[in-house]
Amino acid sequence: MNSPTIKGDPAGCASGAGAAAWVDQLTRRRRSGPSRHGGAADLPAGLAASTLAVHAGSHDDAATGAVGTPIYQTSTFILGEEQYRAVEEGFARDRFIYTRYGNPSQWAVQEKLAALEGAESALVFSSGMAAISASVLALLDKGAHIVASDELYGGTYNLFHHELPSLGMQVSYVNPRDPDAIRAALRPQTMLLYFEALTNPLLKVVDIPALAALARGAGARLMIDATFVTPLGCRPLALGADLVVHSCTKYLNGHSDLVAGVALGSRKLMDQVWPRLLAYGGCLDPHACFLLERGLKTLALRMRAHEQGAQQVARFLQGHARVRRVHYPGLDSHPDHALARRQLANTGGMVTFELASDAQALALLPRLALMREATSLGGVETLISLPFNTSHAAFTVEQRARLGIAPGCVRLSVGVEDPADLIADLNRALASLPAD
Amino acid sequence: MRNGIPAAGLSEMAHEIRDDAAQGLARYGVALRWLSGTRAQVQTLPATIGRQRVAREFSWQVDEPRQLGGSNHAPNPQELLLSGLGACLMVGFAVGATVQGIQLSTLEVEVQATLDLAGFLDLRPGAPVPMTGIEYTMRVAGDGTREQYEQLRLQAEAHSPNAMSLKQGVPLAGRLAEA
Repeated sequence: MNSPTIKGDPAGCASGAGAAAWVDQLTRRRRSGPSRHGGAADLPAGLAASTLAVHAGSHDDAATGAVGTPIYQTSTFILGEEQYRAVEEGFARDRFIYTRYGNPSQWAVQEKLAALEGAESALVFSSGMAAISASVLALLDKGAHIVASDELYGGTYNLFHHELPSLGMQVSYVNPRDPDAIRAALRPQTMLLYFEALTNPLLKVVDIPALAALARGAGARLMIDATFVTPLGCRPLALGADLVVHSCTKYLNGHSDLVAGVALGSRKLMDQVWPRLLAYGGCLDPHACFLLERGLKTLALRMRAHEQGAQQVARFLQGHARVRRVHYPGLDSHPDHALARRQLANTGGMVTFELASDAQALALLPRLALMREATSLGGVETLISLPFNTSHAAFTVEQRARLGIAPGCVRLSVGVEDPADLIADLNRALASLPAD
Repeated sequence: MRNGIPAAGLSEMAHEIRDDAAQGLARYGVALRWLSGTRAQVQTLPATIGRQRVAREFSWQVDEPRQLGGSNHAPNPQELLLSGLGACLMVGFAVGATVQGIQLSTLEVEVQATLDLAGFLDLRPGAPVPMTGIEYTMRVAGDGTREQYEQLRLQAEAHSPNAMSLKQGVPLAGRLAEA
């Protein structure tokens, strides 16, 4: 039901300002989206995630009959009465005006991501950090306090540790698996609890319903970075989180060929984030939207393969004499295995293991033929990296030990290759390691 | 955006509060610390709007003029009360103008009050402690008519929490706590 006259969301209407006497007579209600179809249910209800990944948000081109979403590679749009009115009344998010404000390619992939996450609204960004910084700053005021995990992704930690204090905001870092420590860290100024669904690199599973209850009790919001689990593993909004962010660079796109991020939540919260997207400028280019949308169509297939591969690789590593310990939430031996079974429908492709020393870990890397020594994760190809010289290079040995990151720690992002080939690659490399 | 106020967002907020009354409940506070003489430091307390805690990191001083025994370093309590009234009327006027589709170019509010210090000092039986009257003047320019502005003024006053708290009075409860 694309409207021939309204270039944007046909259901996103004016408020009635000009015809009303006071606020109680205004008629506009907040609704999900924005969507070029006005939020109309164009798909049957109750579809599985794998079906939504293919169909949600992907709309055939009415003008040509082309199957799938065209790439709207434009920076700007023809202005008309509707656009001017939207700016004047403050609902410009519902109209196409300028690509930083919104673009059909962005809306298509946002609709798909929102359907997968079970969110009313989504905003895509030029990186995961653009999504995180805009979302965090949208939820905070000067003088605000955050309670966050002490195992944050380095980019988020840099934002929290180096940028927020200069904006008059403070952060307390706590063990994400210690509810008493989280409760003790709350202050009257606490506006946000920020955690990652699976921690990096030890893959601890955070208890999202418990965190949501703590946040509600404090009048604070709960934001979850669900990059490591994807909506196929867990949908934090359904478990009580207020806002979810992902680095789409990782599993959501899945091909290690673009950088993107997304924030998802209620329309109300995303309408608060949207002005920060405009102000900070991290909008996603239409061509990157197309690539992301194409990548998402195979998310369910890929996540199944990642999980199966990771499970087999983790089991192999667990039984290998040179490996001291394996962290994978799908293994019975993982401390959070019971919570993972309860909370995660897919335990993902991240596997962390420990060799005898950092020297052993370094020696492993050049002995691998298939696995690529590179940062990032979630791509079709298996990547390997060492926390001590990548994500946690700024920490001392003692600080890493306090976080539970032992010497010899290796992080694997298991791709979608045949697990037998990956195991053979690891087996060869481990067998040729020098003695401890 | 007309008058810098999003009519769409106002409308959405109004419907959300109509659907869920808790969204409309707000609690504000300030804490004052005596510095010396008549001077005090004021700090806003975290507020609650709807179900959300909101950090409010603002601070200012309050004092009395030298003529009343102060150091004249900051506005006095009466001026702060009048500024709270004037600002509240101004918000209501700007919101009302936006809802009615009126573009403002000038909006100024002047508020004055009279006080008989004999009441505070208890110098004369029956001397009034409250202010004896508060008057305000609004200066408005824009694309509306004088009749519309007058109707907006009345509407802003009738919907102003601060104006109505002064006009109708609200319960005041105090207690002593250990320092």
